Amino acid sequence: MMAVTVDRVKRYSGRGLLYLVLAVISAASLLPFLWVILSSLKPHDELYSKQLTFLPHRYTLVNYTQMVERMVGFGFYYRNSVLVSVGTVVLTLFVGSLAAYALSRFRFKGDQALFLIFLGTMMVPGEVGLIGQYELLSSYKLLNTLTGLTLSYTAFNLALTVFVMRSVFIAVPQELLDAARVDGCSWWESYWQIMVPLGASGLAAAGTLVFLSAWNEFIFALTMNNWTDEARTLPVGIQLLQGQWQHWDYGVLFSSVMLSFLPVIILFLFLQKYFMRGLTAGAVKG
Amino acid sequence: MTTATAQAPSGKRKGLSLDNPYAFILPAVVLFGMFSLYPILRSLYLSFFDYDFLRPEQMHFVGWGNYHEILRDERVMRWPGIVTPAKPLSIWEIIFYPFLTLGLTVNSPGGAFWNTIRFTIMYVPAAIIFPLLLAVMVDKAGRMSTLFRTLNFIPVVVSVAVISIIWMWIYHPEYGVVNTLLRQMAGMKEGYNWLSDPKLAMPAVVAMCVWHGLGFNMLLFLVGLQRISPELHEAALVDGATGWQAFRGITLPLLRPTIFLVGLLAMIGALKVFGQMFIMTGGGPADSTLSMVLYLYNIAFRYGKFRFGYASALAWALAVFIFVVALVSFRLSRERE
Repeated sequence: MMAVTVDRVKRYSGRGLLYLVLAVISAASLLPFLWVILSSLKPHDELYSKQLTFLPHRYTLVNYTQMVERMVGFGFYYRNSVLVSVGTVVLTLFVGSLAAYALSRFRFKGDQALFLIFLGTMMVPGEVGLIGQYELLSSYKLLNTLTGLTLSYTAFNLALTVFVMRSVFIAVPQELLDAARVDGCSWWESYWQIMVPLGASGLAAAGTLVFLSAWNEFIFALTMNNWTDEARTLPVGIQLLQGQWQHWDYGVLFSSVMLSFLPVIILFLFLQKYFMRGLTAGAVKG
Repeated sequence: MTTATAQAPSGKRKGLSLDNPYAFILPAVVLFGMFSLYPILRSLYLSFFDYDFLRPEQMHFVGWGNYHEILRDERVMRWPGIVTPAKPLSIWEIIFYPFLTLGLTVNSPGGAFWNTIRFTIMYVPAAIIFPLLLAVMVDKAGRMSTLFRTLNFIPVVVSVAVISIIWMWIYHPEYGVVNTLLRQMAGMKEGYNWLSDPKLAMPAVVAMCVWHGLGFNMLLFLVGLQRISPELHEAALVDGATGWQAFRGITLPLLRPTIFLVGLLAMIGALKVFGQMFIMTGGGPADSTLSMVLYLYNIAFRYGKFRFGYASALAWALAVFIFVVALVSFRLSRERE
């Protein structure tokens, strides 16, 4: 009886220690974001006082109203990031899953070669294409356009999407397709009516991965879309604002940075199952 | 290729029908070929030319000339001057010495290539050890493990740009959290100029990257840990092994493929590092954080000229280097099996 209790105490205290350590580490992962959120709610004099505070003594929204009034570009950056990311996700999923459908269900001339080319390009770092991409977009007058950046990102994420979706589609039983064929379904109809619904969770995982990569991408956006505020995305815009405002007003910077990380974090919390699936699939294959 | 059947589009349909595998694959091939494959090959082609984007009429073939220039370029290949510190170290410097060694002792920073190597050497071990320890703990946390996994994963979904800006504030010499804590708790008078001291800038960036990548590498380790059956671990404990012995004898060897994967991904990422340096230090101070990709970006778009030929050569040289390093580590890991 006694031994059992001692054992239990030992186990629970061990568990308590484990939780404590994990809580401290998790706090270290979260505190920078929490600090930005809280700082964005502090009045100006508190931000610039020598005494560091964590919780604001006085809450205010003045930084946000200031931001809306004075940071003209921020609205553009936000709009552009949303348009480019959503556009990239829709285009990549559509084009990529169509190709994956063909590669998983049909034998045709050059299918193996095509697959190998997709695979081979995935191993080349994207930065290698930076110069060629700039020249290409420039010659088609697509520099500083959302179309250009969307097409770049789509091509950039296509190989991985084809790869992930092909492995999802292969698992769909052929009998279903054959039966649909007998019923007079065209291949195109069976793509919409069988493959897309059955591959939905795979599409969601690939979609979140593509969204994340498009929303956060930096070097291509910096190179291709950095002439006007009308073309900049959030990561490029936010580093520009940091350069312009750091000597004037940290408050507006805090609020703009907080607004640029909040949507992704919320999205992640709601869709985390797909995020983790997509990211591990991406890592193992890339 | 499990269930794929060799069914060509049926002959009943006429000439140009959309109901055909080529029609399904065509959009992907066009997009991929134009915006992915072509730019990569175009960069390779340009790397053999002397080519300024603004003066296309002067473009001319130089063979391996650009690649020879890389090897002679001071800002790429200059060997870092390693000198031991002159003044005695403070207690904090001694505590962090193992981590800072490479940063502290480099008195005159080397070129972009050596900076990138320095960054990789500092980053990769930390990007394996810390996430591994975290994953082992999260794995043991039972019902709470999902919560801790989620919390530690949050930084991963935030962009490098936002993370870099937040950490610039954390490292701020006057108002930054780090220096404030050093002043208030360790009694330091001034604190450090984290990002504007040539010795500290690189370790400071590395620390941020380790923090940023923690959750992602933890997730990969968790996936690896779940593949190990818990019975093995329990059997060892029943046989009288301590927790540490079971970890070393069972978990670690079985986790080797995951460790290799995490290490390889971390290394490839580290060799391509760009945004963090571009935003936080601009490659400075005194070129001490100038990475390869940052240098080639500057060559192509920043230094007044648009030297696309030389920048392409830098990009391709880096890609080949990454490929060779990955191949060699792959071979080495195979031999040890």
